[in-house]
Amino acid sequence: MSRRATRPGVAPTVLTYLWLAVAAVVLLFPVLLTVLGGFLPSNALLHQPPQLFGGHWTVRNYLDAWRQPVVPLAPAFLNSLFVGLTIMVGHLVTSCLAAYALVFLRTPLRRPLFWVFLATIIIPYESIVVPNALFIRSLGVNDNRLALVLPFLASGFGVFLLRQAFLQFPRELREAAVIDGCGHLRFLFTILLPGSRPALTAIAVWSFLQGWNMYFWPLIISSSNNSLNTLQTAVFALKDNEGGSPAVLLAGITITLVPTLLLVIFGQRWLVRGFTAGAVK
Amino acid sequence: MTAPTLTSAKPPGLASTNKTDVRPARPGAPRLREAALALLFLVPGLAGLGVFVIFPLFQAVYLSTRGNDILGNPTRSVGLRHFEELFTPAFGHVLWQTAVFTVLVVVPGVLLPLAIAAPLTQRLPGMRIFRTAFALPFAYSVSAASVVWLIMLNPGVSPVNWLLGLVGIEAPGWTTDPSWAMFTVAGVTVWMVSGFNLLVLSAGLAGVDEEVLEAARLDGAAGLRQFVSIVLPMISPSLFFAVVTTTLTALQALGQVQIMTDGGPNGHTRTLVYSIFDNAFHNNNSNFGLASAQGLVLLVVGVLIAAIQFGVLERRVHYR
Amino acid sequence: MRTTLRRTVLGLSLAALAATTAACGSATANSGGSGSGATDAAPAASVLDGKGEVSIDFWHAMTGKNGEALQNLADQFNAKNKGRIKVNLQFKNTYDDTLSAYKAALNSGQAPDVVQVYDIGTRFMIDSKSIVPVQSFLDTDKTNAADIQPNIAGYYSVDNKLYSMPFNTSMPLLYLNKTAFEKAGLDPAHPPKTLDEITDAARKLTVKDASGTVTQYGFGAALYGWFLEQWTAVGNQEYCDQGNGRDARGTTVKLATDDHVKLLQWWKKLVDEGLAPKLDSNTTTADNTFTSGKVAMTLESTGSLSGFLKSAEGKFEIATGNYPKINASDNGGPIIGGASLWVVGKGKDDQHKRAAWEFVKFLSEKDSQATWHTSTGYFPISKSALDTDVDKQWVAQRPQFQTAITQLQGTALTKATQGCLLGAMPQARKAAEQAMQAAVLSGTDPKTALQQQEQAMAGPIKDYNASVGG
Repeated sequence: MSRRATRPGVAPTVLTYLWLAVAAVVLLFPVLLTVLGGFLPSNALLHQPPQLFGGHWTVRNYLDAWRQPVVPLAPAFLNSLFVGLTIMVGHLVTSCLAAYALVFLRTPLRRPLFWVFLATIIIPYESIVVPNALFIRSLGVNDNRLALVLPFLASGFGVFLLRQAFLQFPRELREAAVIDGCGHLRFLFTILLPGSRPALTAIAVWSFLQGWNMYFWPLIISSSNNSLNTLQTAVFALKDNEGGSPAVLLAGITITLVPTLLLVIFGQRWLVRGFTAGAVK
Repeated sequence: MTAPTLTSAKPPGLASTNKTDVRPARPGAPRLREAALALLFLVPGLAGLGVFVIFPLFQAVYLSTRGNDILGNPTRSVGLRHFEELFTPAFGHVLWQTAVFTVLVVVPGVLLPLAIAAPLTQRLPGMRIFRTAFALPFAYSVSAASVVWLIMLNPGVSPVNWLLGLVGIEAPGWTTDPSWAMFTVAGVTVWMVSGFNLLVLSAGLAGVDEEVLEAARLDGAAGLRQFVSIVLPMISPSLFFAVVTTTLTALQALGQVQIMTDGGPNGHTRTLVYSIFDNAFHNNNSNFGLASAQGLVLLVVGVLIAAIQFGVLERRVHYR
Repeated sequence: MRTTLRRTVLGLSLAALAATTAACGSATANSGGSGSGATDAAPAASVLDGKGEVSIDFWHAMTGKNGEALQNLADQFNAKNKGRIKVNLQFKNTYDDTLSAYKAALNSGQAPDVVQVYDIGTRFMIDSKSIVPVQSFLDTDKTNAADIQPNIAGYYSVDNKLYSMPFNTSMPLLYLNKTAFEKAGLDPAHPPKTLDEITDAARKLTVKDASGTVTQYGFGAALYGWFLEQWTAVGNQEYCDQGNGRDARGTTVKLATDDHVKLLQWWKKLVDEGLAPKLDSNTTTADNTFTSGKVAMTLESTGSLSGFLKSAEGKFEIATGNYPKINASDNGGPIIGGASLWVVGKGKDDQHKRAAWEFVKFLSEKDSQATWHTSTGYFPISKSALDTDVDKQWVAQRPQFQTAITQLQGTALTKATQGCLLGAMPQARKAAEQAMQAAVLSGTDPKTALQQQEQAMAGPIKDYNASVGG
């Protein structure tokens, strides 16, 4: 391949910027509207033509959205955090143990068991949501936060990912540990897990965001108990509630987006690393 | 955020790393004790999946043959009636719309971020800011994105309609015109997944040699050909990952449909997952039998798609 | 049962998990409460004597300002009954969700003591055999419901027996953008009364800009099933068979009537002519189009008046008119929509039932209703509430509401205006919306669309009737 100029010419550069600028205007307009819309006087959006700019800015909508008692956002924050963290811990614990048994222990039926874990990965959750909802109701925990997470504490994907990581663990280290008289638990916690950090990070990021973003399941659970709203279902409830004043609605949505917006802006590198831990080995 | 569900997606590069299991020899260790320990270690994971993933499959089969009382409790057997209801034009329509929706989301949902990620690889000022900005939709949950877009397109409020009006275009009924609603809901989903896919594809492109990229981006047609024939294969793991996760996001989409159109107008955005939700939990239906039967259809669809993606597509993916 | 196996496995696994890692919290599941006694017997007030404070749960679906007003009333009640009864309000999102939650709670034995249910859930509540009819309490207390507006009590009365206490009630009205009316040379004091008159007014009210884009539509309303039910009642027609489901269990919804066909043809024509925008069944969106000035006439319930006035403030004035008729000769009137309060009996002891009734009674009293009416805009159920000073003052400030009072008083109570009682009524409303969307938005022939949905409803109605054994 013949080497050409290392910097692109002027014309392509202009085109590049033009394309990116157009794309940015289109794709970021909703983001702009979400954040700025919340600062507009509540009547400004309900106007022909909409008064998007100018006029007096106000933080009242944000206060209203935060203080309104019908869909309280603070408990929804806590619920979302609870769901994300519990599912994350659940996945990490169950996956570590199962993967350890599949790799380092003389487990009977090791292969078939692995296939069982693998098979659960391809089952779409929505196909079993009905039996699970009926089951949770029959357990009588539907007024408890546990109802939000109970079906999601184990993950075939986590087992799969960690098994791959454990298989690549240097055998010499394991043998050395055995010679030192290191028990299974100690080996697992002091040597194996610290050495599998990329895979653990990937699982942690994935499962936390899975829990944080869940919509269908919390929608069913919170529909019978408003205090179990997560941020995602709270936004939907807020739409029914504050639909008459879009500015308050947008302010409320902005509040719910703060954690993830911060994550995308400041934690992007970390986020990508977590997500693609498996991809770019 | 539009992260696809963990239970059914995996990053690329893993399936091909299958090595033989490490079989630690521990002479002298009591085998029975080790087996017991293994059992103890496996039980939490197996039980969690058994109780909430595997067993419900059988229960879904059982439920799909039941009618229900007014409180929604399963009662008498209705035989295969719920399955007969699947062989109707109405349900055929639902399946067709699910397929259309998936295609409308996956194709632009991967191509658009690719078209943005490619120029972002250049060493030009401001690219990092652009990348962060383009990733912002990733911060939106399904419900947040749907509600914001609903406001954007609400005929009484819509700044979009107003802008179109300025250039003399009469805005369509975005969510109320049967021929537009599907495009609108799919478009919003594309917007939502674009942030995530941009990050994934950018990460893939970051691993490609700078010279190769430059050769590809020089002048028009030739550069495009270069890009398709050389760069794309190099980032095929990321591309594959984006396609898989986007497909699953589209297939399992509920919030967009439920919030923006509620399956309407006149059922034109009714997808399989929405239909399951509607029959079981919406509008006081409590038709758990029919919803379970449709859930089994979704299972079949899910398995088929997994088979296609991992059996056919993955063979063409070049892992480094 | 099958779930028992799952439960056992779950329990074992939790134990194993705890044993393995010691990093697991305890998962305790409360089993439901216990209760005894006949479900629908109404205990007298004396059961509360000397029993200490009885705590009752009230599930409701009141949002925003209405939710706050309800909380204030509950606080008043609690202050009055200190040491005797304490009400805890629990918000359950929408009416649909409240009813779903109630169904689930009956199964798991965690039902509330009082539950607010929308009008179309009435048949279901009676069939659930889980409630104490309000009439039983009235009989026990040797009083009657004479102060309740007869048209309002009508909906919730079956066989002359009042089953639940109406609470938040509303009627549909025609809302007008008064400013736009005046600008178009129309008289807002004489709002259109029939479909044809709406068309005429809409022609004058529709405004286009230089490029031909419509900036103001004459008419625009959500394709909401409730509106269709109202139109039927205004035409003094029954919406379902068996005397609107009041003589016996209804078996068909009468969707494919000539009046409905005429209505949908008219609606479609308005949209085609560009006099009305394409709107779906989402009332919030339709409300936004009215308050933003994009449409000049809309249909909404009286409950929306306060919100409309607030949103339109500084932009335009609002006037109201009677709910329009399909034919000039129509002589019925609108049904009172909204929701009512049910006293739960299943699994409840006498103290709880009585305490629940005391609260329901309190909410229905003149003063509570005047407060409720003036802080929310819902129609007061008590006749004498309208005569209180607070109320008179409020109405004087909002002449738009007078329309609702006149409209109610001008409506004779017939089976048609009582409204259709059907177990599958929530689904029937949805079916009506499907037909409306098909005809107006997709261009399906109205007759065909209505017939399709009427037939589609046959199954759910049959299933429902079969499952309650009637």
